[in-house]
Amino acid sequence: MATDQQTGTWYGTGEAVSRVRGQAFKTLCLSATLLALLSVFVLLLYVANDAFQPLSADTGWLLVTIGTVVVPSLAAVGYYYTRDTRAGETATIALGLPIVSLLLTGGVFITFEHVVSVYQWLSILVSLAVAGGIVYAHSRVRTEADLERLVVVVAVPALALWFIPKLILSLPMLPTQSIALLGSFVVPVAVVVGLFVRRQRENDRDGVIAAVLTLVGAAAGFGVAPVVGITPFVWMLLVTVTAVPVSLYVESVIRRGAGVSGLAFPLIVVGGIVASAVLTDTLGFAGPTPWLDWGFLTNVPSRTPEDAGFYPPLVGSVMMLLIIIISAFPVGVGAALYLEEYAPQRGRWGRLVDLIEVNIGNLAGVPSVVYGVLGLALFIRAGGLGSGTALVGGFTVGLLILPIVIISSQEAISAVPDSMRQASYGMGATKWQTTRNVVLPEALPGIMTGNILAMGRAIGETAPLLIIGAPAVVRIAPNSFTNKFSAMPRQIYTWSGEIDAAFRHGVLAAGVVTLLVVLLLMNGAAILIRNKYQRRE
Amino acid sequence: MSERSIDVDLTRSSSGRVVKERIYKWLLFACAALTVFVTAAIIYTLATDAIAFFMTEDASVTGFFTGTEWIARSDGGTFGVWPLVTATLTITFVSALVAVPTGVAAAVYLSEYASDRMRSILKPSLEILAGIPTVVYGYLALVYLTPALQWIGIPVSTFNLLSASVMVGIMIIPMVSSLSEDAMSSVPDSLRQAGYGMGATKYEVSTGVVIPAAISGIFSSFILALSRAIGETMIVVMAAGLRPRMFNFTNPLDNLLSSGQPMTAGMVSAVTSDATGGSATYLSMFALGLTLFVITFVMNLASDYVASRYQEEYQ
Repeated sequence: MATDQQTGTWYGTGEAVSRVRGQAFKTLCLSATLLALLSVFVLLLYVANDAFQPLSADTGWLLVTIGTVVVPSLAAVGYYYTRDTRAGETATIALGLPIVSLLLTGGVFITFEHVVSVYQWLSILVSLAVAGGIVYAHSRVRTEADLERLVVVVAVPALALWFIPKLILSLPMLPTQSIALLGSFVVPVAVVVGLFVRRQRENDRDGVIAAVLTLVGAAAGFGVAPVVGITPFVWMLLVTVTAVPVSLYVESVIRRGAGVSGLAFPLIVVGGIVASAVLTDTLGFAGPTPWLDWGFLTNVPSRTPEDAGFYPPLVGSVMMLLIIIISAFPVGVGAALYLEEYAPQRGRWGRLVDLIEVNIGNLAGVPSVVYGVLGLALFIRAGGLGSGTALVGGFTVGLLILPIVIISSQEAISAVPDSMRQASYGMGATKWQTTRNVVLPEALPGIMTGNILAMGRAIGETAPLLIIGAPAVVRIAPNSFTNKFSAMPRQIYTWSGEIDAAFRHGVLAAGVVTLLVVLLLMNGAAILIRNKYQRRE
Repeated sequence: MSERSIDVDLTRSSSGRVVKERIYKWLLFACAALTVFVTAAIIYTLATDAIAFFMTEDASVTGFFTGTEWIARSDGGTFGVWPLVTATLTITFVSALVAVPTGVAAAVYLSEYASDRMRSILKPSLEILAGIPTVVYGYLALVYLTPALQWIGIPVSTFNLLSASVMVGIMIIPMVSSLSEDAMSSVPDSLRQAGYGMGATKYEVSTGVVIPAAISGIFSSFILALSRAIGETMIVVMAAGLRPRMFNFTNPLDNLLSSGQPMTAGMVSAVTSDATGGSATYLSMFALGLTLFVITFVMNLASDYVASRYQEEYQ
């Protein structure tokens, strides 16, 4: 290393100078990071301020709310952060889970209200049950007829779905909506809950208890719901979609006995809100008049900012997501399974598979507006589907997120350890049996995380909807996939054309906050699933 | 399970099972092959309608690629693509000025300096930024950023390229920073240790060892982010306006202050101005889409190529 010495550029000469320079560089890098984050978060604070208008409230109202909600919550957060991080985690989930499940409840409600009626759902379920029964019976009676069974597996469900719903819907006497819901939705959920608890606890009795409790809780709606002022229908949805997951979580935390104090956090928040409402009411302080309120979420769009609402776009977004879940997710996961499990590494086929992989990477970078053009040409002009319908919107955005679904599913599948596959092959399982019974269940949490994140991307896409002709304003919530629809971002774009300040700084801000809250909850749920899964390994 | 079924499994012919396995394999292969079909469909549909566009009497290939005037009416017009291309290039250039230094600096901080706790806060926050829909960024640019620029005394019009490009820049920062950070974290620690062993400071190691070693990954992140900026639609539609203007070479700054129409916005305005289809304006969308698709596709391939070609193998 004599040459190095001759050049004479040893590092570390002029120590003071290099220390200052290093500090300056570090500060520069940190401030660049913070600048990127803060510039957006400050703007988002402005948006939140416009949407909720907290300054329009009385000073007394603000003081009371700060005293009863903000201060206790912050104190609790401080306690969890410094003393008990495990409880802090519990607190996050205990607060987040009810909110996410409430969102899900809203989605299920909208689905039953606008997409499939309870009776249609019931008839589909009955046909599937009948078909399943026939297929099972066939496999018992003719155990050796594998080829025949392939035909039966495809044909029987198709025939059942074709004939039985018509039969049921044409019956002269149908049970009331609530009873139909009890039979077609609550009972399956109760069964799933029972099986889940039985597997968790490895105890048959607990499973039965959980299932019966779910059923009884939901059925109690016939007596209790009118007293609380909601329909039994809503009560049952609340019990099955919101209360059940929350109580399962609470029960598991208490049984584990770690971080139990975190369960107090949602109580502190909710208690604070109730106390604040009671106090401000008795003291006569007026609250703020936010743009984002219940009326905004349930009204239809309007020319006057005060009446403008967001309900039809909300329904439209739910419908679009349903289409994507049915179409893009199975295809994406299937493609990922092929590429990870089946694809040959070498030879001519191997090169073809390489080409497919490169192609998927490139498709992920194609601008969304180009997918809009593709949807327009493929589904509307060539396929003959109506322009601007939920079906076309779902398919188009589904194609857009397909590469994302494939890539994230591939990651999840390749993370499954090879030893598990070998063990399955060693037991004599075939490739498909291994894939279905070993790889897929093991990769499922990772796949779900990726799919939820992809749904977040899908829910915010606007440009493709503009190209496929989603109308600027939809005044009646769509009732079928072939109706014209509008999604949340599409409506936001329409409102951005209004010059009125009440629209720009009020209605628009409320719409943006709604969209962002939905997104944040979805991403939060995805991250929670990911964390839970990573810790288990 | 009864003993009978075990017996049967071992002795019977397995032709049914083999067929079943094959069917599942081909089903899954069909899913993967669908992605190739998507690419082919994009190219086919864009190309056929772009050709139809060039066959109309208002448009010609040379006029499209050399013309400096874009007037799109529902009954025809003049179609020279340069006003749209220059607006796209302006936005891409300014957004790169915003995103490249910030993104790389953020990546250096996250990969070299940040403590674990800091990273556990900053990285998810950047991920959140990456998940915000572009329509929200467009709204922020139109309703908050443009008035703010006017307030500090920059004479921008209601729709302008400046606030659109700054927003596009902010939008692609997370992309630059996360991809560059991946490249920097994959630089092996032994290289850093060697640098420290030579008496280098942390600054010298970061700038003299880590960045040069990760340069291919950093460049490929630039190319990807710029291709994203070129294809960005909602921000420019909402904040840059829908009026095409040719780039003013005598006073370049003036271009930033006034409105303009990039290619993506041109596509949106073409399809919304003529929903029935068939006119030259409507078909011009496909020609623009094809141009855009080719540009971004080439850039994505180039990014892959840079990342793999200039990547040094550390083993």
